[in-house]
Amino acid sequence: MSEDSPSIIRVKNLTKSYGGFEALRGIDFEVQRGEVFGFLGPNGAGKTTAIRCMLDLIRPSSGSLLVAGHDPQRDPVAVRALCGYLPGELRLDENITVSNALSFFRQLRGGTTACHRRADVLSERLELDTTSKIKNLSKGNKQKIGIVSAFMHEPELLLLDEPTSGLDPLVQKTVMELVAEVQQEGATVFFSSHVLSEVQAVAGRVAIIRGGRIVEVSETSELSARGTVEVRVCFDGPVVFEKDQLAAFPGVKLITSDLAGRFMEFSVRGSMDGLVKCLAAYPVATLETRQCGLEEVFHAHYGKEQEKATNSPFQ
Amino acid sequence: MRSFWTIFRFSSWRLRWTILGWGIPLMLLGLITTPFYDLVAENERQLRPVIQGLKPLVKSFIGGEQAEEIFTPQGFLALRYFAFLPVILGIFASVAGSGMLATDEERGILDFLLAHPAGRASVFFGRMAATICSLVAILLLAWVGLWLGVLRAGSLHFPPGQILLPYISVLAVSTFFLALSLALSMMMPSRVTAAMTTGFIVLAGEILTNLAKAISQLQPAAQFSPLTYFQANAMRGLHIQPVLGLLAIALFLTGLAWLGFQRRDIRVAGDGGWKLPFLGWRKGGN
Repeated sequence: MSEDSPSIIRVKNLTKSYGGFEALRGIDFEVQRGEVFGFLGPNGAGKTTAIRCMLDLIRPSSGSLLVAGHDPQRDPVAVRALCGYLPGELRLDENITVSNALSFFRQLRGGTTACHRRADVLSERLELDTTSKIKNLSKGNKQKIGIVSAFMHEPELLLLDEPTSGLDPLVQKTVMELVAEVQQEGATVFFSSHVLSEVQAVAGRVAIIRGGRIVEVSETSELSARGTVEVRVCFDGPVVFEKDQLAAFPGVKLITSDLAGRFMEFSVRGSMDGLVKCLAAYPVATLETRQCGLEEVFHAHYGKEQEKATNSPFQ
Repeated sequence: MRSFWTIFRFSSWRLRWTILGWGIPLMLLGLITTPFYDLVAENERQLRPVIQGLKPLVKSFIGGEQAEEIFTPQGFLALRYFAFLPVILGIFASVAGSGMLATDEERGILDFLLAHPAGRASVFFGRMAATICSLVAILLLAWVGLWLGVLRAGSLHFPPGQILLPYISVLAVSTFFLALSLALSMMMPSRVTAAMTTGFIVLAGEILTNLAKAISQLQPAAQFSPLTYFQANAMRGLHIQPVLGLLAIALFLTGLAWLGFQRRDIRVAGDGGWKLPFLGWRKGGN
């Protein structure tokens, strides 16, 4: 894979074992330049292990891995230079100030003026107090240091490992905005998470990992469409809804309704057209829809394995 | 190379309080010890029979056959000051060597650091260089303290260069323990285990070296104690071979540690498993 290849990450039959435990069991996937790639799986599935192999923090047991044409084991510095990395739980030297930490990370990245300026802009945007000692910061504020460090050098590839954990909703929103911004600027984002909604919101494609194996790689929209849409309808007055009315629309099912006939919940697979036409005959007060496609696919893959895979120490 | 200097500068800056914390007490030790020579010299007539009357085993802990050297200026400094330095700095080396990489790995700091464009070589050798420089800085502070003490004492007349010679031997022994502790920290499950093992070797070595002065059967075993090669009497002339020998072993141990670090899976946090060379560095969990 050359540096100009459309794939920025290429993983082939990658395995990683710790003694008798197989954290990765021959995973394969490719990430295209410029895309946001979701990497979805519960704790212990192997998400962090895969990312740490990409940065040469751990060595794969077998298989091949290329990041922008570089083998992380042979040329780790080149890989790290083009990557921004944000771990889920960032740990830093507690006895230094935020500005000392950021200055150190900036220097490791060459200490350019552009990097300095962007770090200042990001710190301001995230309302990060750079004068505080790290030990005095909350978990969320420590995570902000990681965000600044990951984004400050405008990396070609961002490896985000559960980036929003420990952040308040406002900062979570800022992170998602930053992800969207860097993607617009042409960067690639590898977004690992177990939070389905955030992956669905940002990722164009998604890989689902279970017990160290990739069980599915697909377009996010395709996965979502494969699932169902939940529709909750409130009526202005009591409604008598005949179930037979829905018979002509095989993808639509009535799930629940209240006795007074004022509230109903449907699940729709495929087109919404039939249900909308049915409802047109009734006085609809409110109508809410919830796309549960990715979640449904995710749970289908995990249903039985979830308990086995959780609580591994190797994440 | 740029990242090596960045790591070196940052690590040296992090060690500044360690340097002062160990260096100032050693500086004070030098200042406090030297005036006592005048007292010892004045009371030689009373003290000499006491030393001569001591049982060999007891005497071995105050210099053995050279215990009566305490009445000479060089002997006094060797027995009452320099004899303690390798043990004190051996403890420092145990802590500093084991903590050089393993502490940050156990705290999860190394993981994030190595995600930046710094090679493992830069991190390893940058930190090693900073730790050795901190050791040198501590010894320099100790030397300044002793020199000031000598200037104050009425009957001690040494040029600063002559006082410096035993510190070279201390540096060699301490570097040996630093490298040993570092190598053990790359093989043992935790930093604490490596520090404790090295600390034990320092103390056991000190006891063994001293006892061997009184019990000849222990002399073959004492050959394996690094402290046997320490030259407290180096003010009378430094033998370079033991210094080079200790530094060569330290270099070998550093190479072993580097090999371990290079092959190692960096932990996210917490303790790890045993990683022994003859087991392919990979026994136990990560």
